[in-house]
Amino acid sequence: MRMVKNLVTSIILSSAVIAVPAIATSADGAYKVSEKPLKLDIHFHTKKFVYDNNWLVEKEAARLTNVQLNNVASMTTTKSEEAFNLLIAGGDLPDIVGGDFIRDNVNRYGPEGAFVPMNDLIDKYAPNIKAFFDKNPDIRSSILASDGNIYYIPYLPDGKYGKGYFIRTDWLKKLNLKSPENVDELYKVLTAFRDNDPNGNGKKDEVPVFMRNWEELIRMVTLWDGRTSGSDVFHDFHVVEGELRHGYVGEGYRTGIRNLAKWYKEGLIDAEVFTRGSRSREFLLSNDLGGMTHDWFASTTGYNDSLKDKVEGFEFKALAPPASISGVRVEEHRRAKVKNQGWAISYTNENQIETMKYFDFFFTEEGRRLANFGIEGKQYDMIDGKPIFKKEILENSAPVVAQLWEVGAQVQRGFYQDYSYELQWSNKYALEAIALYDQGDYLLKPFLGVALNEKEKAVFDKRWITIRDYMLEMQQAWVLGSRDIDEDWDTYIAQIDRMGYDSVVKVMQSAYDRAYKK
Amino acid sequence: MEDINHSLSTPEPMLLVKSRRVVKHLRKEWQLYLMLLPTIIWFIVFLYKPMYGLQIAFKDYSVFKGITSSPWVGLEHFYTLFNNDQFIRAIQNTVMISGASLIFGFPIPIILALMFNEIINPKFKKTAQTIVYLPHFISAVIIAGIVITAFAPSTGVINLMLNAMGFDSVYFLTKPEWFRTIFVGTGIWQEAGFGSIVFLAAVAGVSPSLYESAVVDGASRFQMMYKITIPCILPTILIMLIIKIGNILEVGFEMIIMLYQPATYETADVISTFIYRQGLQAAQYDLAAAAGLFNAVIAFLLVITANTISKRVSKTSLW
Repeated sequence: MRMVKNLVTSIILSSAVIAVPAIATSADGAYKVSEKPLKLDIHFHTKKFVYDNNWLVEKEAARLTNVQLNNVASMTTTKSEEAFNLLIAGGDLPDIVGGDFIRDNVNRYGPEGAFVPMNDLIDKYAPNIKAFFDKNPDIRSSILASDGNIYYIPYLPDGKYGKGYFIRTDWLKKLNLKSPENVDELYKVLTAFRDNDPNGNGKKDEVPVFMRNWEELIRMVTLWDGRTSGSDVFHDFHVVEGELRHGYVGEGYRTGIRNLAKWYKEGLIDAEVFTRGSRSREFLLSNDLGGMTHDWFASTTGYNDSLKDKVEGFEFKALAPPASISGVRVEEHRRAKVKNQGWAISYTNENQIETMKYFDFFFTEEGRRLANFGIEGKQYDMIDGKPIFKKEILENSAPVVAQLWEVGAQVQRGFYQDYSYELQWSNKYALEAIALYDQGDYLLKPFLGVALNEKEKAVFDKRWITIRDYMLEMQQAWVLGSRDIDEDWDTYIAQIDRMGYDSVVKVMQSAYDRAYKK
Repeated sequence: MEDINHSLSTPEPMLLVKSRRVVKHLRKEWQLYLMLLPTIIWFIVFLYKPMYGLQIAFKDYSVFKGITSSPWVGLEHFYTLFNNDQFIRAIQNTVMISGASLIFGFPIPIILALMFNEIINPKFKKTAQTIVYLPHFISAVIIAGIVITAFAPSTGVINLMLNAMGFDSVYFLTKPEWFRTIFVGTGIWQEAGFGSIVFLAAVAGVSPSLYESAVVDGASRFQMMYKITIPCILPTILIMLIIKIGNILEVGFEMIIMLYQPATYETADVISTFIYRQGLQAAQYDLAAAAGLFNAVIAFLLVITANTISKRVSKTSLW
């Protein structure tokens, strides 16, 4: 209760700050973690940056909490995995370790003693983190190590939608077609794209379906009730009513691949879908060739602006997922709720309580705002009790998120992202697309991952990659038409069984039950 | 007694004499040894010291526990590897791809060197050499990009030519039966020119007097090449061949990673790419070390065999 009161005062205070110098908030000392200034070493390495002692957000956090972080991660190494391996092999860990791949790393080396289990610390010293976990038990389950302990505080993205279907709506209008509502209509639309020359150059060069990642093409099996993944990683497992399964052994997948192979053969799918790679979207859209794709909302909608003058009438808008053969509309991709990023306390840390309190600061309203929006008066202003980015930030030629990274906001420390930060600078087409997806209930229950214990991991490591590679090998052969799925199916399932598929599912299931079933 | 004592003590003066000779030799030639030193240090630091880490192939390795405190697991990783059909296939593919590279790729630099040697116009010679060396300096990423574009089914140069000749387009990079040809061909195109430098140097070392007397005897240019140049550079050719055989299990890993697809694993998946997929997913360094050790042992045996054969046949050998 007192905490809440403190929070309220500090919010009132900080919203009153606009006219007053920034020192005002620190006076109450609500977030002070230690009486004496405390300096902690941190190794924080991600693909984009290492922790910077000069970030404004770090300085502000230090002012509010009296804890100052000092980066010890190498500025010259570019690979986070290597940086971490060097660190852990040396054995002399700094107080805090964070960055990319942190979940894998702490859940592997935590039980061996390299990191501090946080369960008790969270209960006693981190009321805000505890409140978050109480509200989101599935997230708490997903970060547990195999020994049932929490070893890191994750970065928690906000927002539901990541990717969706996009179609050339101007081509639809040109050919007098209506937006496809189900898979059969989609088939007709794509056939028309192929045959009726929507780009009007007299050549039959349209590419009805294209994908930057060929895995996204496979995801289209959801139109035939198949599944490909339950998480934001390709080819992952998924959960159906508490049971772990893999999409690539399902009947819907079989139907889906059979039909995708047919579409491929008929030229509805980019002939080069497996090799065209990341440049395909830019190339096919700017040359007025591509008809439809499944890709990120933010970047894909951007072409509506950037190609406006280059391609006449260009309009590439989101398409609600067409209904599958059984009439279900499914968008399989969703933003991850919890990331393999964040920070952890290492065994050498002598100020574990203070560190925990410091971590908790970023789950208070003020701390969360600091981590999301940067500094009040510099990056944002409080308007009607809400942080709103300043005009010069929104209108700057540099992307908003890049400007925030520069001051240390939106950095993947352990914090809960606030989607409203992104809404403020998303282009209008993206907002429109997300609104369209929000009308329906297209998302599926996500699979947030499991931590395998040593025995389970041994089984998984030995078998899974081999099975997965075999699945992918057959998958591409089927889509390309060099093999026939219906002829192969029985031997395919038998082969997967022989490779130990059941034992992999079994260890995944036992790890899942341990973490998620109460 | 005295005799025995005397005979026992004789080795000492012998040794002394020997070591004195060594010291004298070192003092005289110290500059040469000094020049050798960096290479020796390089070998120790980068090749001998890491051998200590090879033991993780027999351990359940944890980076945090360190090499010494990780528990031993014997040959478990080797069992795991050899019970995996995909690993066996990867070995076969590696041997096939390297074998093809060796058979088709090895003679070409030699032929190139001989051809360059026959060019009389120095300007043309230099230009031609530069052109064939160039691909060597292009990074694998760009080469892979060029290959993917050239073999693309819709707009690739190769398929456009096929279409012009009345054939249907082929999606080469997803066809297992085409992968080796494309990969080996690309490798030859990229490296043949640069590889010819060694042979050119060897050709330059052939004594001109041999050619002069051959001219007097009325030999044709072809006869000179066949009877003088090739026999003279044969030792170089054999040494290069032995070295190549030693590297037979090391296939250009980045190129394969960028060119292969699950659809072409059947012929394209080699030992290094297999380890990359298995190791990256779960950070199985111990398993990767086991595969690497296996690789090295096979390569070592191959080098010894090649060396012995070469020694018997032509009296040329590495040691």
